[in-house]
Amino acid sequence: MNPPPLVRDLIRATSRQAVLWRKEDLLLYEYDALSALRQPEAVVFPTSTQEVVRVIRVAARHGLPVIPRGAGTGLSGGATVAERGIVVGFSRMNKMIEIDLENQRARVQPGVVNLDLSAAVSDAGYYFAPDPSSQKACTVGGNVAENSGGPHTLAYGVTTNHVLGLEVVLPDGNVVHTGAKFWDRPGYDLTGLLVGSEGTLGIVTEITVRLSRLPEAVNTLVAIYDRVSDATQTVAAITARGITPAALEMMDGFTLRAVEAATHAGYPTDSAAVLLIEVEGLREAVEEQTKTIEAVCREHSAREIRRARSAEERALLWKGRKNAFGALGRIAPNYYVQDGVIPRTRLPEMLEYTAEVEKKYGLRIGNIFHAGDGNLHPLIMFDARDPSQCDRVSRAAKDLMVKCVEMGGSITGEHGVGVEKNELMPLLFSDDDLAMLRRIKEVFNPSGLLNPGKVLPTGKICGELRVLASVGA
Amino acid sequence: MASSVQSAHMEFAAWVGSDHLSDDPAVCRAAAVDGKAPALVVYPSTAEEVAGILRIAATAGLAVIPFRNRTQLDIGNPPERYDVGLSLKEMNNVWHYEPSDLTISVEPGMKLGDLQYLAAQDHLWLPLDPPGGVKASVGGMLATNATGPLGHGYGSPRDMVLGMKIATTEGKIIKTGGRVVKNVAGYDLAKLLLGSYGTLGVIVEANLKLYPLPRQRATYVLRAKSLGMARELRRRILATPLPFLRFLLVNPAGARWLRQGTPLAVESTKPEIWMEAGGSERVLERTQKSLEDLCREAGVSVETCGGAEAESVWNHASEFRHAVVEAQPGTVVVRASLPIAACEEFLSAAQQEAESAQAEFAALGSPGVGTVHAAISGFRDLGEAGSTIRRLRESAKQLGGALVVERCPVELKAALDVWGDPGDDFDLMRKIKAAWDPQRILAPGRMIGRI
Ligand SMILES: Cc1cc2nc3c(=O)[nH]c(=O)nc-3n(C[C@H](O)[C@H](O)[C@H](O)COP(=O)(O)OP(=O)(O)OC[C@H]3O[C@@H](n4cnc5c(N)ncnc54)[C@H](O)[C@@H]3O)c2cc1C
Ligand SMILES: Cc1cc2nc3c(=O)[nH]c(=O)nc-3n(C[C@H](O)[C@H](O)[C@H](O)COP(=O)(O)OP(=O)(O)OC[C@H]3O[C@@H](n4cnc5c(N)ncnc54)[C@H](O)[C@@H]3O)c2cc1C
Repeated sequence: MNPPPLVRDLIRATSRQAVLWRKEDLLLYEYDALSALRQPEAVVFPTSTQEVVRVIRVAARHGLPVIPRGAGTGLSGGATVAERGIVVGFSRMNKMIEIDLENQRARVQPGVVNLDLSAAVSDAGYYFAPDPSSQKACTVGGNVAENSGGPHTLAYGVTTNHVLGLEVVLPDGNVVHTGAKFWDRPGYDLTGLLVGSEGTLGIVTEITVRLSRLPEAVNTLVAIYDRVSDATQTVAAITARGITPAALEMMDGFTLRAVEAATHAGYPTDSAAVLLIEVEGLREAVEEQTKTIEAVCREHSAREIRRARSAEERALLWKGRKNAFGALGRIAPNYYVQDGVIPRTRLPEMLEYTAEVEKKYGLRIGNIFHAGDGNLHPLIMFDARDPSQCDRVSRAAKDLMVKCVEMGGSITGEHGVGVEKNELMPLLFSDDDLAMLRRIKEVFNPSGLLNPGKVLPTGKICGELRVLASVGA
Repeated sequence: MASSVQSAHMEFAAWVGSDHLSDDPAVCRAAAVDGKAPALVVYPSTAEEVAGILRIAATAGLAVIPFRNRTQLDIGNPPERYDVGLSLKEMNNVWHYEPSDLTISVEPGMKLGDLQYLAAQDHLWLPLDPPGGVKASVGGMLATNATGPLGHGYGSPRDMVLGMKIATTEGKIIKTGGRVVKNVAGYDLAKLLLGSYGTLGVIVEANLKLYPLPRQRATYVLRAKSLGMARELRRRILATPLPFLRFLLVNPAGARWLRQGTPLAVESTKPEIWMEAGGSERVLERTQKSLEDLCREAGVSVETCGGAEAESVWNHASEFRHAVVEAQPGTVVVRASLPIAACEEFLSAAQQEAESAQAEFAALGSPGVGTVHAAISGFRDLGEAGSTIRRLRESAKQLGGALVVERCPVELKAALDVWGDPGDDFDLMRKIKAAWDPQRILAPGRMIGRI
């Protein structure tokens, strides 16, 4: 079969090995970690900014949208194809261009895997602070696009707090540089605006990040509870004592049993909930804070509090936590991860509400989340082959989002809006708010060539959450 | 323009009440920016009133500059037009305060000191010490993304704003972000407003993240024998895990400035490093011990100070930028933003520039962040001041940074963009301004590239 004209143009813009276009090769690119939408016309893997510019010009000539893609671990469908288009994958733009330890900076291409960046500087005592649970696979470009968080962003902030500058290719083929290696460049903070824009404002081709010092000491605690409400009440009680742990995660009993079966991390399978708590910093501070936290947990009826005794034990506990979605994926044909935020003081109430939703719709919901931030991840288990279940999942998820908003929270804390929640945006934003967002989009992406159908409501399906038939692992 | 101000006057009065505006020449003169006074000052007391004022002004094509205490108003290029001063001093409400969530929502006119007082009841604070200190208003601090020495330990307002309400030139009130600590729904418009110096919209409410107050604090002084040694100390200190809250490098004149009026006021002839640490008694003991070990190797002693003395020193640091100009009109204050490793070199270059111009030079740097504030006074004439600024800007650029002129005689501003050269992203900034403020009524001409 001869390649069609589009593919020939893309090959000319890059190279023969850089373009996928046969049906069987495109199959994988229907998906991200949320779901599958449509097949792209082609997938292209540029190796330089110049190639990205040429690709975007080819796309414009063919009137085809461009969809940037990192590792495809996104959970809101951001890297999927909403209508038609060319997927631009960054797996070959994975160089660390500059590592400058004295200035605590690194300049990397977007395809660098999150954990690889930290690994490259850890011997020198540094790391890249944002640590999504998917960090072994997800890319820094994806982190920038989603403004990703992670267990340790409770103390250190999310991606936007660690990104200082970007190189961006605009849909008209212009290349611009925002921010700088130094802090506070004069002018509007376009870097801050681009981080979290989900690939709808520009294609990021280079990222300048801040590197952080590894802490001197770390303590990892597991507090075990017989009642979920005791665990949730502990969360705000810890911050009320003036302690911001580096991480404060919660898993409920249902999730724990799945995690244990998959990873044997040493979590108790007969409990109702655990908190995984980490304190970091100066040795003296860590010792004192550990004691205070243990006391707070005990005051809130923790059955037992364990301390990881070695780096291996600590790594195992985190492995259990970071692989939890996959572990739950083993016990039902499909799962749907939600991502809502509430003020942390409302956690007890919210988890009770989640239990009600579970009952109301006859679904199992696992709870595993960034408790310290009030960032919930209810995991709804289901079987996608059963259309009635899909409908219930969608309604249950929407109920949960509505509740988050009622509590003064948000419909997404870190996974993004994508194609999943764009029609839910009116829950949070008025027409006036959305109009100002649209104006920003028109400045950067006036033709709509870049990642269409994401973030802003299209008005096609009103007020609905898009849970797709093949959601899941 | 005067006639359209007059006809809009009635509309403003109908909107905010005639006791909430003034055309008294003395009042207007006090609201002047770079020598240009408005014809009217309006004092809205609600977000809706702010929005209405902007709508009326946009319809009449009147230029508006929002302000609270006016002390940062001299940062920026001279306004192209300026008809209406928008004072936010009546907007001081706290709309929401939840200590257990570590969040607070306030109006822009609230002063930092009042916010700190409230939060301290719950052992919390907003860890910012911008120029102006406790007298800074929340709106002014955010609109300038202002920081001080605490930026070393805590970052800037950019890291503390969870959401905002913004009044637009169309007379709408829009919201961005929320009251929770994590939120990625929609573009992060708050980032655009932070550091926009009132040129895109008026911040009418801000949701902020609060932090636990350190239990105890201690201030340490290291006297470096040279800038070279200061650099070596900075490298060693930043390589330790010691979590300092504040970290300043000052030249001898800067040191005299910090020490003035305290019993610490000895004559300094060498650069000094001033640091503050916070935490429990054991943490402070450990910090001091580690610092002493590190300094012994370098042959430098560690002095400590605390209580009122330390507080006075850090207040002087906050006031530096304003007070040097008050003490000696005509003083030029520049802020260099640099890669961390370039601070000492910039200080040394600036010192040489000042010496060759036979001018006085005081500098406060945050070497952990990469900013240096330098005040230069006693130029022979404006020409000399202008060419010194240009050379300083050049050396900041060569070191990989940029330089903003925060204060200088207005006469100099005609020939120089105080923000420096815009980059290849300027076209986007211009388009954003045009999308949000199509009539260019908000502080026209003041931002980079005279946007
Ligand atoms: C098991 C699991 C755990 C997870 N845990 C977390 C977590 O703890 N915290 C968290 O925040 N997220 C988490 N996620 C979600 C996901 O991993 C993050 O959103 C991640 O940052 C996506 O990176 P990616 O490289 O896979 O991006 P993709 O999924 O490929 O793309 C995500 C978005 O970024 C855009 N994009 C990618 N590259 C670029 C570029 N160069 N320029 C412009 N736009 C670009 C895409 O168009 C898309 O909109 C998890 C996902 C999984 C599957
Ligand atoms: C020696 C000294 C004396 C001082 N004396 C006083 C004093 O007597 N009284 C006092 O109150 N303060 C005083 N200050 C401090 C001053 O308040 C601070 O410098 C403060 O950081 C700046 O806030 P502001 O309210 O003055 O901002 P302003 O200078 O009014 O504004 C700063 C910038 O932000 C913009 N802006 C302001 N508010 C908004 C908003 N809501 N939305 C959008 N843009 C906005 C303005 O247009 C301007 O560009 C003093 C400081 C010093 C050092």
